[in-house]
Amino acid sequence: MIRREKRIAVLFVLPTILILLAISIFPLIYSFYLSLCQWDVGMGGRRIFIGVGNYLRLFSDQRFWGAMKNTGLELLIGVGTQFLVGLGLALLLNRYFRGRNLVVTLFLLPMMISPVVVGCIWRIIYHYQYGPLNFLLARMGLNPVNWLGSSQVSIYSIIIADIWEWTPFMLITLLAGLQAIPDELYEAARVDGAGRWAIFSRVVLPLLRPVIIIAVLIRVMDAFKIFDLVVLLTHGGPGQSSETIAFYNYTTGFKYFSMGYASAMAYFQLAVIVIIANVFLASWKRREVS
Amino acid sequence: MKKFLVLLLALVFLLSCASLAYSLKLVVVGDAGHNLKPFDWYAQDFKEKFDVELEVIGVPFGELYEKEKMELIAATGAYDIMIVYPKFLAEFAANGWLYPLDEFAQKLDPKLDDVTPGYRDFYCKYSGKLYALPYDGDVLNLYYRKDLLENEEEKAAFKAKYGYDLKVPETWDEFLDVAEFFTRKAGEKLAGQVLERDFYGTAYYGQKDQIFAWWGNIFASLGGVYFDEETMEPAINSEAGVKALEIFKQIHQYCPPDVLSYGYEELKDVFLEGDCFMVIQWPCVGKKGADPNQSKIVGKIGVSHVPGVKKDGEVYYRALMPCGRVLAVAAEAKDPWKAYQVIHYLSVETSMDDVSTAETGLDPYRYSHFAHPEEYEMFANVEDARIYLEGVQKNMEKGYPEMVLPGTVEYEETLGVELTRALAGEKTPEQALNDAAAAWRDILNRFGKEQQKKLYQELVAGWRAAGLW
Repeated sequence: MIRREKRIAVLFVLPTILILLAISIFPLIYSFYLSLCQWDVGMGGRRIFIGVGNYLRLFSDQRFWGAMKNTGLELLIGVGTQFLVGLGLALLLNRYFRGRNLVVTLFLLPMMISPVVVGCIWRIIYHYQYGPLNFLLARMGLNPVNWLGSSQVSIYSIIIADIWEWTPFMLITLLAGLQAIPDELYEAARVDGAGRWAIFSRVVLPLLRPVIIIAVLIRVMDAFKIFDLVVLLTHGGPGQSSETIAFYNYTTGFKYFSMGYASAMAYFQLAVIVIIANVFLASWKRREVS
Repeated sequence: MKKFLVLLLALVFLLSCASLAYSLKLVVVGDAGHNLKPFDWYAQDFKEKFDVELEVIGVPFGELYEKEKMELIAATGAYDIMIVYPKFLAEFAANGWLYPLDEFAQKLDPKLDDVTPGYRDFYCKYSGKLYALPYDGDVLNLYYRKDLLENEEEKAAFKAKYGYDLKVPETWDEFLDVAEFFTRKAGEKLAGQVLERDFYGTAYYGQKDQIFAWWGNIFASLGGVYFDEETMEPAINSEAGVKALEIFKQIHQYCPPDVLSYGYEELKDVFLEGDCFMVIQWPCVGKKGADPNQSKIVGKIGVSHVPGVKKDGEVYYRALMPCGRVLAVAAEAKDPWKAYQVIHYLSVETSMDDVSTAETGLDPYRYSHFAHPEEYEMFANVEDARIYLEGVQKNMEKGYPEMVLPGTVEYEETLGVELTRALAGEKTPEQALNDAAAAWRDILNRFGKEQQKKLYQELVAGWRAAGLW
């Protein structure tokens, strides 16, 4: 009877296992195998096993490291600013005033717009001669900025657009975290003579920490994959100056069709993301233990 | 039960009849926008003449290669008719992804004798077999502001500064002088009028996918070649290459500051909005420039050959022939013969109408297209149309073919990246081209050096035979 029940249970689970194997496990194993091969789908498409050759090629590929650097800038400056601005806005909105819900909804608008539309909007905003941003700068007596045509500036233009699009995510997540903190704790702190800064640093921040870790982790993982804004604003240019790792990986895989090298690049990214995620989660665990 | 069976059979019969009554649906893929318009314009003709309905899929200009190749590799049969840029025709044909058209061409003549040699022999064929029919003939041309060139005040100022008469630049040195002369800041005067915005001497296509062609015009006029035919060593970092990039860097000074982000649209707009004295551009810009709906400088545009270098008193110039479009039938097409009839109709029957309108970006590629200036009605008069066509034809006769080896997309883009780095001042021209050559060696080895060498030698022999090399 028990064996029969077990068999039925297995039968119920089997379709899920098969689907997972087909769409998740097999591609994972196969792409790892590909990362150990040279497979340029151009002429004939012969696959040659080359061991760690693709991984070694990564270390001497300047374009790859340029893309890594740009992705690092996006993580540090982009996600960092999103967190700081998002936290500031969340603190401001964590008090009752008339029309607060409307203000929160308005702040969320950029996140609700399709990423493609965001890219198109910013392309117009950044236009050197006719864009509103340079118009405003000129009105203030400042020189126009070459937002998309300068290899020094273009990556920051992408980061600014990304900050505009994703700060609302930080805002709404942190605001939810702030609203989950019971009012009694603020009152108790005030009774004990704590000032605003003390309440923020000793009560709010420690209690908000799990939410901060999750919100930043989600954005870090997202920012590591930034692609749409790069395509729509600069196409990685001028030259390769604003290429991110996701964009370069796409170019290698689906423009140059170097599938082995692109797979190795994807695995390298995976390793970096796993390390970052573990650092964040470890810090959460430390907090739980303490 | 019996009744049910009879009903079922009747239903099956009706459905079969209905499906027979439907036309065959062929899927077309191409770069989205104005060049797909003819497929819509003649939808009724395709239905009436060939009993074919078309589903047209447009993808972004720079992404056509990957979209098509992914479907072809996976053999999904997603597309029946494909707009292909000649640079990836060889790769698609070599992999057996395209349907050879020679047999069909014998049944229904594509009138290839009427097609200019570059398009007929290199952009539609691979290994002697016909794989595509021409659809858009691209070559780069020099467009300039005729009205400014003829302005007496400007002529006098130019002569005073450079010591010779202001004229259409024929050499790169003259091009630099004219570009420098017409670069003005807002508030300065141009032809007696105070400028509200900055005005630029010239501009170019700065994005990495096509920038090679704007450098290539200079490189080719200096005698540069892609590879050494014997050793297959990349020759882009030769003396001609470095010199061409040095000239290109000088030209860069007289361009809009954001020129490195320019693609086709931006380059067209900066000229047609009246913000720039001259550009090197594809032929369709001449037609669009004559259309008041698309241009603020109607009647003020002159066209000439791209500049070159002076040798023994003669100007030696070569105009790159980048991009272009041909129509191919996928090997997995549902009905290759019907697909061929459709592309034949566009390449032969309607081509005159399609290249002579400002609504498409399609450009002349048949001798008959050049012989009928009266068809180009967007021009103010037949004489203007004739001048435009003569200018384009002049460049086509001295056309410098785009490389069409497998891997060309990667060759051109890696070169584009290095050119941009030199123009942005991150590398010297020599460093940039040496790095590009190293990247080319790597691509060459990955695609198979011997196979590439064989194909390149065949290409060069063909170019030579057609007088283009």
